[in-house]
Amino acid sequence: MLYCQRNWRLVSGSLLPIDHRSSKYYTFCLVTVIFADNFFAMPILELHHLRKYFATQKAVDDISLTIEKGQIFGLLGPNGAGKTTLIRMITGIFYPDAGEIKFDGKTFDPINDIEYIGYMPEERGLYKKMKIGEQTLYLAQLKGLSRHEAMSKIKEWFDKFDMNSWWNKKVEDLSKGMSQKLQFVTTVLHEPKLVILDEPFSGLDPVNTNLIKDEIYSLSQKGATIIFSTHRMEQVEEICDHIALVNKGKKILDGTVKQVKHDYKENLFRVGFSNKLMAEHLAIHLFEVIKKTDHEVVIKLDPGFSNNDVLQYFIHKGLAIESFNEILPSLNEIFIRLVEGSPVTRQFQQVTA
Amino acid sequence: MNKILLIIQREYLTRVRKKTFIISTILFPVLYLGLIFGTGYIAATSGSNLHVAVIDSSGYFDKGIIERENMKDSSSVLTLVNMKPESLKVNFKNLGYDGYVVIPARLNWEDTAANYFTLQTSRTIGLEGAQPVQTKLNNIWSGIKNEKLGIDITKKTILERNTISLGTINVNDTTADSGVATGIGYVSGFLIYIILLLYGSQVMMGVMEEKTSRIAEVIVSSVKPFQLMLGKIIGIGLVALTQFLLWIAFVFIIYNVSAASVNSSAMGGMIGGVQKVFTSINVPLILFCFIFYLLGGFFFYSSLYAAIGSAVNEDMREAQSLSFPITMLVIISIAMMSAAMKDPSGPLAVWGSIIPFSSPIIMMARIPFGVPGTVPWWQLGASMVALIGGFIFTTWFAGKIYRTGILMYGKKPTWKEMLKWAFKKS
Repeated sequence: MLYCQRNWRLVSGSLLPIDHRSSKYYTFCLVTVIFADNFFAMPILELHHLRKYFATQKAVDDISLTIEKGQIFGLLGPNGAGKTTLIRMITGIFYPDAGEIKFDGKTFDPINDIEYIGYMPEERGLYKKMKIGEQTLYLAQLKGLSRHEAMSKIKEWFDKFDMNSWWNKKVEDLSKGMSQKLQFVTTVLHEPKLVILDEPFSGLDPVNTNLIKDEIYSLSQKGATIIFSTHRMEQVEEICDHIALVNKGKKILDGTVKQVKHDYKENLFRVGFSNKLMAEHLAIHLFEVIKKTDHEVVIKLDPGFSNNDVLQYFIHKGLAIESFNEILPSLNEIFIRLVEGSPVTRQFQQVTA
Repeated sequence: MNKILLIIQREYLTRVRKKTFIISTILFPVLYLGLIFGTGYIAATSGSNLHVAVIDSSGYFDKGIIERENMKDSSSVLTLVNMKPESLKVNFKNLGYDGYVVIPARLNWEDTAANYFTLQTSRTIGLEGAQPVQTKLNNIWSGIKNEKLGIDITKKTILERNTISLGTINVNDTTADSGVATGIGYVSGFLIYIILLLYGSQVMMGVMEEKTSRIAEVIVSSVKPFQLMLGKIIGIGLVALTQFLLWIAFVFIIYNVSAASVNSSAMGGMIGGVQKVFTSINVPLILFCFIFYLLGGFFFYSSLYAAIGSAVNEDMREAQSLSFPITMLVIISIAMMSAAMKDPSGPLAVWGSIIPFSSPIIMMARIPFGVPGTVPWWQLGASMVALIGGFIFTTWFAGKIYRTGILMYGKKPTWKEMLKWAFKKS
């Protein structure tokens, strides 16, 4: 109700005294709350049945996705899956052949909405012979910032990343790691609502990788949404909350990391004991032994039996259990499992439009 | 619109601040002027002075005549010697002569055929080396013939000076002057030709810059490809205009400086010529048309160069081979120019000045001949409209190719491929 009262004040701007409570007041509050909830729950990006066909390739073949605000979303897929084409449609570089894109609740407007999007493509590039300070300013202004705003933000970021000495240097004077840092800065300078990073860590050493990773987290905390496209599954597991896997233009996976792992789990468990394991401890229909060492065993639980059944069995056998963990599949394994079976290299197809 | 301005500003400033721009702006007119004056100077002061010995077996040439001619014409020195040809052949070098001529006895002033003698030299001289000696001998020979024929000074003067020369005047446009018009026409046409080629290829390379730096995708995620292309073309066009205006200013300064210090006759003559130029042609119209055709031609051709630049994959040779047809069009226009100027109202000139490919050069060559005298208003109008329509079309066409080509790596571009991109739905 306190929340309601605050909303009432905000929405109506009236000076009605707080203790005025009629049924109309409560109804209004309810409506406002529902409205506010819906408003703040609007996804930043909605893709409905997108299609993009090229002469030799169905690059994107009916993909639908929803990305909520503040998520760190992983867009995964093998080479040639259609990720880059998808991203290019989101950034307004390509126009879809069919389907709809909604940005922040409204139809995507390629001319104006791109000021709220930051894009770091896989092909890194900046004007080689242009001075760094000048170039950052230029790119920021192209994104719609005024000169004044751009300069103050540049100062902020250059201080943060310790890049102030680079101002008058040319891009060609920088090492690869330095130029990637610079490119990252140019991508996020205009405080976009949606940041798209395509392989942001490629070629970076661990120190710089960490730096960028921390920045990604902090951006996400400030409310930005991050789409993160990569092949490096370890990074995805670490950083992303939500992922989608595409292959050959189609979406084959969509969910939170946790959920995906659970969907593809194989009921494997690792159990550690203080006692030495004997063969007779393991001869039971509850599970199948995958791997065995003296004090540890990896088992595959048979369907129909629960963790507790296994624990009780071991306890009953008089073994002292030190550890009991579920082995969830890594995203790497899931990726390979799902994508295996499709040809290793992208095939050219005849497309009749 | 704002974004196009940003791009124009960036393209302009990056190029104008480069050292090469300043150097080429100053160097080009200096080199050009140096070339003109330098070669003239060298030609005037050098040229070997040949010392030639003459053995006269015909009896016509005597020392007196030869000495008088030597005084009049110092480009060579003839000396009558009394030796046998065989001994002269061996000794002439030691005696200080560069060569010798033997005039045979058979030489007869009443002959109606030409005579061919030989100048024997100690070293091989150039093609025109014998010219001064030949001229001098002919002058002497002319004098001898005239005397024998009984032609005295008065008759000689009548023969030589009483000639007919024709000047031209257009009854519809009496201020027009062919000489001046031809000169201005050549200069304008040539200037446009140079600027088109120079800056057309600059546009092509400028467009390739985004591809080679791999920044194309980043820029295109902030602006539309068409805006980028237009911004580049206009930015580079402004650089061309700036350079051209600086050249004009430079030449103007030199003109004024030399006008203030008229001490050499050559300069005086040139300045007189310049004054004449200003009276016989319509300067403001020509200036306006020049700027119009320069910019129109630039936009027309640079869009095509931009399209090519966006299609190739960083390889200059590919770019050059693809752009060959375009460059040929410009070269053909300049080749047509001399023919068109021989007959400024003829069909070649008229059509050449209306079709957008050649109109910047050909029309600019025609205009100094007089508007509306040689170039009727309707032709000028048609030409301008055609050029504007032309560059709108090529810009649209190039825009289509550009938006596909700029993001495409690895595909070998041909004109056929590019045409496909142009007519693909966006």
